Amino acid sequence: MTARTRRGDIVVTRLPNGLTVILREMRQAPVVSVWCWYRVGSRDERPGITGISHWVEHMNFKGTRRIHKEDVTRQVELAGGTWNGYTWLDVTAYFETVQSDAFEEMLRLEASRMTECLYSQNEVEHERTVVISELQGGENDPRSYLEKEVTGTALQAHPYRWPTIGYLSDLRAITRDDLYGHYRRYYVPNNGILVATGDFETAAALRLVRRHFGGIRRGEDPPPVRTIEPPQSGERRLTIRRPSGAVYLEFAFHAPAASEQEFAVFLVADGILAGGPTVNLWSGQDGRGPSKTSRLYRSLIEGDLASQVSTLLVPTRHPYLYRVGVTVNEGVDPGRIEETLTAEIGRLAQGDIEERDLTRAKNQFLARHALESESTTDAAHQLGFFETVAVHRLFLDLPRRVRAVTAGEVATLARARLDGDRRTVGVLFPSGPQPAPAAPGGHGVSRP
Amino acid sequence: MSAVPWIRLDNGLEVIARPNGAARSIAVQLVLEAGAAFDPAEKEGTAALVASLLDRGAGSLSAAAIAGFFDDLGVAYAAEAHRDTLDIRLRLLSDHLPGVLERLRLIVAEPTFPGTEVGRQKGQLLTTIAERDQDTAAVSEMGLQEALFPPGHPYRHPRLGTRDSVSRIERADLVAFHRHRFRSSGAIVSMAGDFDPARALALAASILGTWNGGADGPARGARGTAGTAPGPAARASIPDPPAPDRTIVVVKPIDGKTQADIALGFRGPRRLSPDLPASLVLNSILGEFSLGGRLGKVIRERAGLAYYVYSRFSAGLGPGPFVARAGVAPDRVRRALDLMRRTIEQIVRRGVTPGELRDSKQALAASVPRSMETNPEAAAILADAEFYGLGIDYPWRLAEMIRAVTRRDVEEAARKYLTPRSCVLVVAGPELEKETLA
Repeated sequence: MTARTRRGDIVVTRLPNGLTVILREMRQAPVVSVWCWYRVGSRDERPGITGISHWVEHMNFKGTRRIHKEDVTRQVELAGGTWNGYTWLDVTAYFETVQSDAFEEMLRLEASRMTECLYSQNEVEHERTVVISELQGGENDPRSYLEKEVTGTALQAHPYRWPTIGYLSDLRAITRDDLYGHYRRYYVPNNGILVATGDFETAAALRLVRRHFGGIRRGEDPPPVRTIEPPQSGERRLTIRRPSGAVYLEFAFHAPAASEQEFAVFLVADGILAGGPTVNLWSGQDGRGPSKTSRLYRSLIEGDLASQVSTLLVPTRHPYLYRVGVTVNEGVDPGRIEETLTAEIGRLAQGDIEERDLTRAKNQFLARHALESESTTDAAHQLGFFETVAVHRLFLDLPRRVRAVTAGEVATLARARLDGDRRTVGVLFPSGPQPAPAAPGGHGVSRP
Repeated sequence: MSAVPWIRLDNGLEVIARPNGAARSIAVQLVLEAGAAFDPAEKEGTAALVASLLDRGAGSLSAAAIAGFFDDLGVAYAAEAHRDTLDIRLRLLSDHLPGVLERLRLIVAEPTFPGTEVGRQKGQLLTTIAERDQDTAAVSEMGLQEALFPPGHPYRHPRLGTRDSVSRIERADLVAFHRHRFRSSGAIVSMAGDFDPARALALAASILGTWNGGADGPARGARGTAGTAPGPAARASIPDPPAPDRTIVVVKPIDGKTQADIALGFRGPRRLSPDLPASLVLNSILGEFSLGGRLGKVIRERAGLAYYVYSRFSAGLGPGPFVARAGVAPDRVRRALDLMRRTIEQIVRRGVTPGELRDSKQALAASVPRSMETNPEAAAILADAEFYGLGIDYPWRLAEMIRAVTRRDVEEAARKYLTPRSCVLVVAGPELEKETLA
């Protein structure tokens, strides 16, 4: 028997092998977006194999028993499509957005990827250096370096504490069998979610999904994450010195899981502080910074203390972090940034919140919520992402939850969660040789 | 092909309105010929600074009033200077179009450039420049521009300017740049989304028709749909730089980095070059198709040298660079570079295979409907086509032109643009020795 629910135009089905299927017809363009999600990410790793989920994602583009390596991406592009994959704390996802007549071909690709990727020793070794190159490219950026260090300090026990890309030593040591074992353990239908949106007829689409995925055997349910981060009692601080063009400061606080009622309160609190976060991790970075009416923009940017401020509140299955990152203006003592942030959080905690602040924060969230799920690709992403971190209905329900948030709830949250004893503060100072002057004509031009 | 309604106002502004009944939102993009290429000499970064200041006070509205309007309604606003153009992009829920167009008119026609904001934005830009100068990818890109374009060429300087050039910019420079470059005539407003096109055009005409930044067009309220596209506006002419007569090697040391960035660059096509479709196919084969074309296959897949390796060209009013890029470990620069050069030489000497040609043509032509799926994408693509005088129907014609590209066209484009003996090689990163790269 298969369970089936319908809400609006979204149809959710559970196949007998445990695969969750979410379909939504969207007829705005002759395209379909197919996303295959697995509930596996860096949270399912341990020291020694950090980065393995992401490396597995890379390996799953290297051909299957039925699909030649080159055809994995080639057939998507021949259908006018775009494709990608990503790995994050809780999830690994693959997608293709293509002309609608290539829908079935994409289902065949994802079904094959779930069951029969190759993992040759030779490909594993090639990809080892590619993944290490990805890590080194990331470490070139001082901001992401600071973020990684702050995460590892704010979280002491939960596996969210290590970077998704992994530690260099682990990337050097992971074996082919480690990778293949991780793939087989987590890539089973009962740990997967298949989402399709776009130009199709739902009943016909479901028949195609059953044809390609229905015969895949259920596997053992993967082990759950057991560790719960112990409460923090007392501020944690760290100082980093790296070559850098500016001083960066980052605050991190403990945030609730996406499914907790408090998450919506946090969305509004962040809205008042910074204009609100994106809740689309894939495409939500639309280039706008903090909103210019937000409290942190007014106090830090218009206060001439910082050139940039950004916040991050990510929907996750287990409690993670809320971050505030600041690029400090030249000559400004980072201590002044801390004082200002502390004062702004204090205002929230004291309930200094006007009706207009609340309405504005909510309206900004509601607009983003709509805009960031409008395309077929974004709509499929949001349904699948929320299904992996909570349940897809949460995404649909967030506007209602956000509308109901009161000023009192925001103040309570600020007192409970944004308190000085529960924060981690990291500062990155430039080190080493200062950048060479960038005068026109520059250095090092020669004609051999 | 979809018909796209448009109108040209008496002040020369062209307005495009592409309806999308499935959306609940609207994207608006305004495009001006006011990019970094038009920065005054010695004051590079002016266009970028102007872009950052447009919403910080306009007409009788303060920065706070403008931001308050946008934020109350959840409107996303961004303004950015690119190389040829300065773009303003807005995303809004459908109900808010009239109010947003009112603010857009003020922002573009009457920015006030308040003194305190000028100082603040200058400071922010200087910080961004300091960060950029530590970024291996950005530094290699700038090195390429410096070496490909001679002093005085509009494409030579970095888009954000330099520490020195930005320090020299005064408020009066911003006002002058705005006066000269922000003209309604030749500007384009492209809208896509949830509206009735006739009503959206009428609304835009009534609000933006009063922007009078240099009405010199004779067309009086011309209108139509794609297929009877408006004639192209006159654009600035950007000269050809001299082709390098040898290989120029540039090394930009940045200590403490874990990875180096390589840029191997050539003088590419202009946007209006007849061989643009062939160049798109060439680029796809060289460094784009599937996992980065031939470059991806050789350097990432077979040699495992880089996470990212690709090619691209940026054709504008003038000939932008055609560049192959890779990020590699410092001790692998030499090897990656050899493979990049060899891959390019092979394509020039031996041409492309029928299979590659078929795949890349198919992929490029078939991607057109998807590339215009969202409102911001559709607005941007139509604005871009119209800015370069290609016509509103260009995205659909381009698919046909790509299908018509022959193997010979691609190989001619390769010989014309990818000239391994006269190119620029830039490496930015740690522990580099120039001798090993020449």
